Amino acid sequence: MINRRNFLTTVAVGTASAAALAACGTGSSTSGETGSAENPVNIDYTWWGNDDRAERTRKAIALFESKNPDIKVNGNFTDFAGYWQKRATEAAGGGLPDVMQWDLSYLRDYGQRNQLLDLGTVKINTDAFDKSLLPSGQIRGKTYGIPTSTNAFAVYYDPAKLASLGIAEPDGSWSYKEFNEFLTQVGSKSNGAIFGGTDYTGVWWMFNIWLRQNNIEAFTEDGKLGFTKDDMKKWWNTTAGLRGTPAIVSEERVTQLAPKSPFGSNVTATEVTWDNFMAGYLSDSGAKELKLVPVPSDDQDNLGLFLKPSMLMVASAKTKNKDAAARFIDFMVNDPEVGQIFKTSRGVPASKTQRDGTTFEGTDKLVVDYEKSIEKYLKDAPEPPIVGFGTLEASFKRISSDLNYGKVTIDGAADAWFKEAEDLIKQNA
Amino acid sequence: MTQSPTLSRRSTPSAPTLRKSKQRGADARAGYTFLLPWLLGFIALTVGPMISSLYLSFTNYNLFEPPKWIGLDNYTTLFQDERFLQSVGVTVSYVVFGTPLKLAAALAVAMLLNSKRKGQGFYRSAFYAPSLIGASVSIAIVWKAIFGDAGPVDQGLSFFGINLGGWVGNPSMTMPMFVLLTVWQFGAPMVIFLAGLKQIPADLYEAASMDGAGPVRKFFNITWPMLSPVIFFNLLMETIHAFQIFASAYIISNGEGGPAGSTLFYTLYLYLRGFSDFRMGYASAMAWLLVIVVGIITLIFFRTSKSWVHYSGDAK
Repeated sequence: MINRRNFLTTVAVGTASAAALAACGTGSSTSGETGSAENPVNIDYTWWGNDDRAERTRKAIALFESKNPDIKVNGNFTDFAGYWQKRATEAAGGGLPDVMQWDLSYLRDYGQRNQLLDLGTVKINTDAFDKSLLPSGQIRGKTYGIPTSTNAFAVYYDPAKLASLGIAEPDGSWSYKEFNEFLTQVGSKSNGAIFGGTDYTGVWWMFNIWLRQNNIEAFTEDGKLGFTKDDMKKWWNTTAGLRGTPAIVSEERVTQLAPKSPFGSNVTATEVTWDNFMAGYLSDSGAKELKLVPVPSDDQDNLGLFLKPSMLMVASAKTKNKDAAARFIDFMVNDPEVGQIFKTSRGVPASKTQRDGTTFEGTDKLVVDYEKSIEKYLKDAPEPPIVGFGTLEASFKRISSDLNYGKVTIDGAADAWFKEAEDLIKQNA
Repeated sequence: MTQSPTLSRRSTPSAPTLRKSKQRGADARAGYTFLLPWLLGFIALTVGPMISSLYLSFTNYNLFEPPKWIGLDNYTTLFQDERFLQSVGVTVSYVVFGTPLKLAAALAVAMLLNSKRKGQGFYRSAFYAPSLIGASVSIAIVWKAIFGDAGPVDQGLSFFGINLGGWVGNPSMTMPMFVLLTVWQFGAPMVIFLAGLKQIPADLYEAASMDGAGPVRKFFNITWPMLSPVIFFNLLMETIHAFQIFASAYIISNGEGGPAGSTLFYTLYLYLRGFSDFRMGYASAMAWLLVIVVGIITLIFFRTSKSWVHYSGDAK
């Protein structure tokens, strides 16, 4: 029989022991001071990406280790979304990995807050870099990131899918109206079996490009917003007539397919995104060939395009193995053989030595040729965006998705984003 | 035990008392020594972080720079935050629908498994298994695949002519999916119910049968009141547990709380605020609000329990 006293004691003992068990975590860490072939220095390297990139990165690491037997690199990767939450947790605990692949969106958050190593204090060769590209890895005169490669925005399309629908391949000189008509055509000719594309107004960088096409700066020099609520409404209105039609894949499908993209899953015929996604899309979709053309613009003399460092290499400010970390970064950005491994899957190599040492064929050549073809339209690379930009980009994506679910109106969406943005800017002021 | 000390105390009052208190002191010391590892862990890993989180909840803290004191600002802005209100709504509906259904399933299966039949051990482990692996990440991934586009659930339903598509991307189907997931993991409360059912004397049921009571009557007049302390315990624990749902929500929604915020559970939003937006002070305020609310709910449960929970030996 159960009586009150025994019962409550049992509960108390049970809860206490459960808490004790939970408290029994274990942790260990090792650090080597000096490295030799017998007793190598260990450094951690982490990156985001898919299986394709993981395989290439492992090859690059193996190559590095064979050339530098005194250093051992422990690789580790996740997808993009999880990547930043993991870094934040590690930064809070004071234990960021020694070397990391980095994104421009988060450079200010960590660099300005002294989490990243000033790479000007270690030996990394940047002679072969285009001088206009390096500032995008710098904040207040200190170099926190070295670009591995460059990428630019483009419209991908699958020529085989278009051919099967009897639609002519686009040449990339299109206004937004023409682009929307193209998407509609794909959706209606395939009877909804293949969607035209994903809602491109949900991509922050495409919005940024549209702002540049209209000669508006996204952020002012003092870290405020350079555009108005009306600009944002106008932007989201661009595809208002396409949402819910076969021109644009439904948000429900997009969510189901995540983490793969609708384009990589062969659900859409086009995708507006960075040109270095080629390798990933090819391996995801199994397509023979994918092609690239410039993004739409209502002013064909101003495409708003720019080369962005597609990825940066950074080191933790607290790394115990500065020299080993620097040698690994130098190797990853400069070594011609690394270029051969990655081709254009990280973007077009930023260092000339790496670019010259790499042979680009087939689809890789398409990416290089694309960047060459837009050269005359290119403007300066953007400075590292404002502190908290990663959050703004994420909420832009989330609110655009709510828009596609029909959960908010365009006015409501713009209000919601501006409220968050103003709150964030005030927080970090 | 009861006799001899009383006798000795009478004959020589001072010495044994001294010996006894010495003995007591030694017992206490031994007790505290054994308790020490737990106590240290409790102070360092629970009390310490709680105090610092309480402090942080009154600050603006971005993980990298020293916290800035802002008083009650975090708490007041919470109630103007639409996503916060959304997360409260999502979590409350999960607790309200998930917990009673889970307990009902647990009790029903426990009663089935309580009767003697062949292969009983196998069934007990089979039903318990999901809750053993249930907390793991792998189950959330499997669940996502089961309820995804063209997954088994989608195909099974379309066989019957119901075309809902995948549940994962449909904002109105994600909550049923999460409720099903928690109901399926009824193993832990089931085992406790089973232990409780074993404690009910069989002669009560025999006597009731003699008086001509049917199964329904037996359930409400014997099983329910006799089991009420266990029901109370399970209800309390599962409610608290349900408020803390995190891992499955994080995995199934890719850590975003989507689609359209339909899986933005309280703890997930708390985590996103802390670790995605670097708003640790805000997240701490959310955590403390959760502690307070769960505390109040527990108190209400204890207060109302007097009217329906019966302990043996209580005067009725």
